[in-house]
Amino acid sequence: MEDGFRLGDRTFASRLLLGTGKFASIGAMLGAVRASGAELVTVALRRFNRERPDDDLCAPLAALGGVTLVPNTSGAMNAREAVRAALLGREVTGSPFVKLEIHPNPHHLLPDPIETYEAAGLLVKEGFFVLPYMPADPVLARRLEDIGCAAVMPLGSAIGSGQGLATLAMLQVIVRDAGVPVIVDAGLRSPSEAAAAMEMGCDAVLINSAIAAAENPALMAGAFAQAIVAGRQARRAGLMPRSDTAVPTSPAAALTAFLAGAGD
Amino acid sequence: MPPLPEWLDVAPWLALARRADRAMVRQALAAPSPGIREFAILLSSAAAGELEALAARAQALTRRHFGRTIGLYAPLYLSNYCPTRCVYCGFASDRKIQRHKLTPAELAAEAAALKQLGLEEVLLLTGDRLGTAGYEFLRDGVERLAAQFHSVSAEAFAMSESEYAGLAAAGCTAVTLYQETYDPARYALLHTSGPKADYSGRLDAPARALGGGMRSAGLGVLLGLSEPLTDVLRLFAHAAWLRRRFWAGGVAIAFPRVRPQSGDYAAGFPVGESLLAQIVFAFRIAMPETPLVLSTRESPRFRDGMAGVGISKMSVASRTTVGGYASGAAPSSAQFEIEDHRGVEEFGAMLRAKGLQPVFKNWDAVYRAAHA
Repeated sequence: MEDGFRLGDRTFASRLLLGTGKFASIGAMLGAVRASGAELVTVALRRFNRERPDDDLCAPLAALGGVTLVPNTSGAMNAREAVRAALLGREVTGSPFVKLEIHPNPHHLLPDPIETYEAAGLLVKEGFFVLPYMPADPVLARRLEDIGCAAVMPLGSAIGSGQGLATLAMLQVIVRDAGVPVIVDAGLRSPSEAAAAMEMGCDAVLINSAIAAAENPALMAGAFAQAIVAGRQARRAGLMPRSDTAVPTSPAAALTAFLAGAGD
Repeated sequence: MPPLPEWLDVAPWLALARRADRAMVRQALAAPSPGIREFAILLSSAAAGELEALAARAQALTRRHFGRTIGLYAPLYLSNYCPTRCVYCGFASDRKIQRHKLTPAELAAEAAALKQLGLEEVLLLTGDRLGTAGYEFLRDGVERLAAQFHSVSAEAFAMSESEYAGLAAAGCTAVTLYQETYDPARYALLHTSGPKADYSGRLDAPARALGGGMRSAGLGVLLGLSEPLTDVLRLFAHAAWLRRRFWAGGVAIAFPRVRPQSGDYAAGFPVGESLLAQIVFAFRIAMPETPLVLSTRESPRFRDGMAGVGISKMSVASRTTVGGYASGAAPSSAQFEIEDHRGVEEFGAMLRAKGLQPVFKNWDAVYRAAHA
């Protein structure tokens, strides 16, 4: 696969990961997954409901062909809860991936770096491909990589905030130094922001609220998919450097012409 | 009368709410990070004239933070014994009603009936603390229900921090405790005897609950008991104070209302539907990520209109009698009258028709087991 997205022991064609909360119906969620072309979808363990099929997000996603489930520990307040949730998620789905999400504050939902680091170490030892949702902290990103996480998932901005790449400067450092895929997770509002994340060198983007809250989620899912492809292609093509001044395409007179006669 | 804590002083905000004009309302609606100042302005009579704009903002924020979903739960009454005289309550100690507390077998039958309805979040209720239906009885109920339901919470009497810790260990994730009114003088008039007569003990209880390890505390005032503007501003201040004090604690707000037209207690300060809606919108705008709860006390018309427009969580198929689910009997001694009698499937169909997904399970017992 040309320019495949390597994650864990697999390679994916799509670089859009889709979160599955917040949709108006299971049908709307499935429609968005299909339209997005996403091959990795996260689903919160707390939304698994084996007793009431019309309330269960897991089974209908599992039944979709071509989709790898990534159970999400959202709801966990600490490492111990997250580890239990991850183990149960693997038992139910059989997926080797886990999105490690620990947010102790139910209002701003920002990730706890300390508990996330602790849980990541335990889950790596359990054999998971751990995808930790984390603050956009370059040091934490390298520490998580060093203990064996399969990727890092720094936030663009707070979950559902739609504030886009508010952490841009830190993301740039993370991308520059990362030895594992960098997946921007949370806060993106528009496809252009997803394209920008890909242009700056992120490996993939995870979107949920921006698609689920759109008037037409499937249409928005398609828009994000195209933007991510465009951003990735632009990155591979090599963006020309930025300049504060106009750069003539055919310089009239080179300032350094006199050097042609230099004796060295 | 106990002195009010400094954080309950809302006099400047009350003054602001009384003088706010339309331009201030527009500014408050556009504020990037609204707080109690904006909340006060959005409660003003000038804001009442902009209700549609408030509703639009409230809906957008509800969608942002909760998606197109409504969380569902059901109350389960464990007992209607009560030593306290709350003049507005159907379970008050001086009411001549049939008293009952569920036996373990009856509780099992109630739980089975709720399970049959597909509900996964149950709120256990009791009267005020009594020797016969007190803390041990409640904790036992929590333990039994936690073995069957993913999410169990409690709405009961004020407890000590260690009692709350014990309840959390038994599987309770949240408690609801309405102050009823934050006006100490009105409070004293309305709660004449029994443990609940202790205003300060009740005011501090949500903090003890969060300190004891509850994940969330539910707050509220019983609208109609006292001057609503002051009460609602203090409710906001209480929620904001708890959030500052407990950085990882959740706060939820509910909006119970003494219905002006029903029951034998006439609301001294009746709150109509428009004001109730305005209060909900103001909370959603100024505390956007807070769960806002509406019960079956309200009419189907009002509930349908508010679902997803500020409100993010609703009770459904409620029985406010002890043993109401398994017996299926008509409510004879209910705590309050229910206005929305629709069943789970009918209510769920209404939500779906409005483009909202009813969510029955939004928690998992695995998080509880992590502490076992």
